[in-house]
Amino acid sequence: MILVIGGGPAGLAAAVAIARNGQEVTILDSAPRAGGQYWRHRTRVDGYKSEKSAMYLQEVAQNPLIHFISGANVWSASRVKDGFAINYLVSGNELTVTAQKLILATGAFDRSLPFAGWDLPGVMTPGAAQSLLKGHGVLAGRRVIVAGTGPFLLPVATGIAAAGGTVVGLYEAQSPLRWALSPVALLLNPSKFAELLYYAKQVRKYRIRIQFGKGVTAFDTHSAVVSRLSSDLEVVAGSEEKIECDVVAVGWGFTPDVTLGGILGCAQKVDLDGTVIFNVDQNQRSSQKDIWIAGEATGIGGSDLALVEGEIAGLDCVGIGISPSLAFRKIRKTLFARALQKSYPVGNGWKKWSRNTTKICRCEEVSLQDIADSVTDLGAFDSRTAKLFTRAGMGLCQGRICSRNVSEIVAGLQGCQVSDNERIGYSNRPIATPISLGELSDGKSTK
Amino acid sequence: MWFDLQDDVGDSFELEAKGGVVVARSDDSALMALADSQRLHGVTAQKVDSGELHSLEPYLHPDLHSGVFYPQDAQCQPMLAAAHILRTVIARGGAVISHAQVKKILSHDGVLHSISTTQGDFRAPIVINAAGTWAGEIAALAGSHLPIAPRKGFILVTEPTQHYIFHKVYDSDYVANVASSDADLQTSTVVEGTRSGTILIGASRERIGFDGSMNYDIVRTLAAQATSLFPVLRDVNLLRVYRGFRPYAPDHLPVVGEDAEIKGLWHSAGHEGAGIGLAPGSAELITQLITGKTTFMDPAAFAPARFARVSI
Amino acid sequence: MSAPINFTFNGSTYSGEAGQSIAAALISQDQRVLRTTRFDEAPRSIFCGIGICFDCVVVVNGIANQRSCLVEITEGAVIVSKQ
Ligand SMILES: Cc1cc2nc3c(=O)[nH]c(=O)nc-3n(C[C@H](O)[C@H](O)[C@H](O)COP(=O)(O)OP(=O)(O)OC[C@H]3O[C@@H](n4cnc5c(N)ncnc54)[C@H](O)[C@@H]3O)c2cc1C
Ligand SMILES: Cc1cc2nc3c(=O)[nH]c(=O)nc-3n(C[C@H](O)[C@H](O)[C@H](O)COP(=O)(O)OP(=O)(O)OC[C@H]3O[C@@H](n4cnc5c(N)ncnc54)[C@H](O)[C@@H]3O)c2cc1C
Ligand code: FES
Repeated sequence: MILVIGGGPAGLAAAVAIARNGQEVTILDSAPRAGGQYWRHRTRVDGYKSEKSAMYLQEVAQNPLIHFISGANVWSASRVKDGFAINYLVSGNELTVTAQKLILATGAFDRSLPFAGWDLPGVMTPGAAQSLLKGHGVLAGRRVIVAGTGPFLLPVATGIAAAGGTVVGLYEAQSPLRWALSPVALLLNPSKFAELLYYAKQVRKYRIRIQFGKGVTAFDTHSAVVSRLSSDLEVVAGSEEKIECDVVAVGWGFTPDVTLGGILGCAQKVDLDGTVIFNVDQNQRSSQKDIWIAGEATGIGGSDLALVEGEIAGLDCVGIGISPSLAFRKIRKTLFARALQKSYPVGNGWKKWSRNTTKICRCEEVSLQDIADSVTDLGAFDSRTAKLFTRAGMGLCQGRICSRNVSEIVAGLQGCQVSDNERIGYSNRPIATPISLGELSDGKSTK
Repeated sequence: MWFDLQDDVGDSFELEAKGGVVVARSDDSALMALADSQRLHGVTAQKVDSGELHSLEPYLHPDLHSGVFYPQDAQCQPMLAAAHILRTVIARGGAVISHAQVKKILSHDGVLHSISTTQGDFRAPIVINAAGTWAGEIAALAGSHLPIAPRKGFILVTEPTQHYIFHKVYDSDYVANVASSDADLQTSTVVEGTRSGTILIGASRERIGFDGSMNYDIVRTLAAQATSLFPVLRDVNLLRVYRGFRPYAPDHLPVVGEDAEIKGLWHSAGHEGAGIGLAPGSAELITQLITGKTTFMDPAAFAPARFARVSI
Repeated sequence: MSAPINFTFNGSTYSGEAGQSIAAALISQDQRVLRTTRFDEAPRSIFCGIGICFDCVVVVNGIANQRSCLVEITEGAVIVSKQ
């Protein structure tokens, strides 16, 4: 049996490629519906090139060879005699399926940077604003600021405006001129111009004010401080202005979710943008036999690259050769992904946006001061030791939100760089999603 | 001793004498016999009946009826303790050289001379080997031998919960397993709450060398044992699993004293699953031995010479 | 449109649409604060919105630490911030 974990663009493309070649495939996804982070819609998909997602979602729903199991949280996996045992939770029960071949398409989540007030209600990621709107039909707020960096701010801001919210401002920290650093990637991806034009039209239609080189550096209920930022994200002194709003949706790119592949021993590496991703070959094969990995987990690249990678993984998994045109499409999209990383870098200036009391670890409420003390007083020298002393990263989210920030802060205090080993260390955890001890004991919960 | 140490170092490391409860399963005779002998050695061990047991631990399974209460049993946060002790060492004029892996140990005519590390060479008349599970490797570097081996253990950590568990609660077969020489896997539960609100569930014991791999069957077994003691834990989520290697000697006793072959090389190792609890005691003992003072207890059982090489 | 679903949060009655998460239903009715933190009792709402950050956890029908951005509302559900 072939099993795909993750039903976003990458996982769906893999499943469709497998089913079109006559083989059965099962997709497990924790979400209630197929589509992943980007195609997250309750009813109709709208936005740029929405017909593409509609095609995949329809095929997944209708092709009898594709089985989609929603609401399935995979909490662990291991290699067994005849393949892989995948343990997952679905409506209060723990189940195990055995698969001979595995495709991991676990995607990514928004990367967040701390600033004074970032733990107050009203501050959220663009992903949260998007999922409230597309997944649940709810506007995140009435007066919303969208901020951070990267092209994904555009669909979020235009989506909110189209649904009747007021986008007080769209603040992109980096300059659009940075795209000039990657002329080849742009020339090879002309479709991206069309996408940009689409969003430019939307921005004009809803009169959204886009400002470059600015970002939200503090929040207090009902207002945000917006500052001019250097390309390294340092606040330009005296540039701070207070802007009334009830919600700030702020994100700084994405963090790939490498947990499951890590549990299965798939080799990882550190990408140009400091994220930890899987090492895969040109056919998406991981270092572990019979495991393919596709989508954001092999490097942040957006849904187009995720689709191509998913298709390649699916084809290779059923033994179909990859056509030169598909391989070339992957190269083009990968170049574009590289250009994205160059155009939207996240410098180190954010470390000064926090007050000493600002909670860096939201779960365990560990402040910047606590982390600094663990370095200066107790001799913490990396994020692991700082975590053992302060509990930063030990909470419910298991460091998904804070561990990268903690390690950058600790390295900064020591005047050194975060090592690749440390990055890989904090990106991995043995339990992918919380499981109750009752479910662990006998497969059943009281939920 | 831990409390003296905390007073000495002057900082909190979440030290708490919360007391331990060993819960008897069906037949409690072995447990009660053990408690009797412990009492002879000066340990406070109080037999408790069903009513007392459930007032000590109200969330225990109602079918559990007896146990032994150890009011002296304590808990601390070992990482914080280590950090604060190191800080005190430095404040009192000691030096801590970190990231210094010992690579070579030189001796002349059976007398220790110097050590080479990745941070340089050091000469000292006395070197204490407190390398935990790796203490055997240090002895081997010096040309001597010490049979310390790893005994792997998993500990489960839950999400923060309401206050469900008030003491360190041991399943009675824990006691039997710890002293077992069986290399196969054993799991027996110890359940305890921590100051941060999480619950720790330990611990498995297996001798499979330094194999760091995950074993979800062990995780399941530990969870099942913990929920059979405390049904209320069924709804509590598992967050993390720790893996570690306890340093154990063949006779399950620590090794504290001077090496049998190399003069100047001292060992304080092999504390197995009790190395945190025993640390101040071992430190006191080895200090008294090195400085030639009267020891507070008979050190003979801990002498490294008990593992003298069988000559071939 | 299907009939609204009613539930209580910290004792007050709210309603929402089928398929909506607890957090979405509450936020749509201006109930943004979902809980207060363990140590500082600081107010928290949703943050990541997709089940990653656990900022939005509430007690659903007696079971603690449920992510309100993921768990969908059900008729008669009793939801509280803290046990
Ligand atoms: C707000 C927002 C806006 C975006 N806008 C755009 C855009 O305009 N254009 C664009 O190209 N990209 C956009 N993206 C980026 C998006 O991440 C990717 O384009 C795309 O979704 C990547 O596809 P994927 O298949 O790799 O991963 P995802 O879409 O992230 O899918 C991964 C899936 O795996 C599931 N999963 C993960 N772990 C487990 C587990 N343990 N058990 C079960 N299931 C699991 C998740 O539930 C998820 O459904 C946006 C992302 C966000 C959050
Ligand atoms: C699952 C589990 C549960 C446990 N539960 C408890 C408990 O409840 N109570 C309790 O008291 N104990 C418990 N223990 C046991 C306790 O952790 C150990 O006994 C204790 O840590 C041993 O302390 P140590 O100082 O001897 O060695 P360690 O703490 O192992 O320290 C040895 C040090 O030596 C260093 N080192 C090793 N080789 C070299 C080299 N070549 N050069 C330089 N440095 C080197 C290492 O880096 C390390 O810092 C548990 C252990 C495990 C695994
Ligand atoms: S908002 Fe992050 S888990 Fe619900």
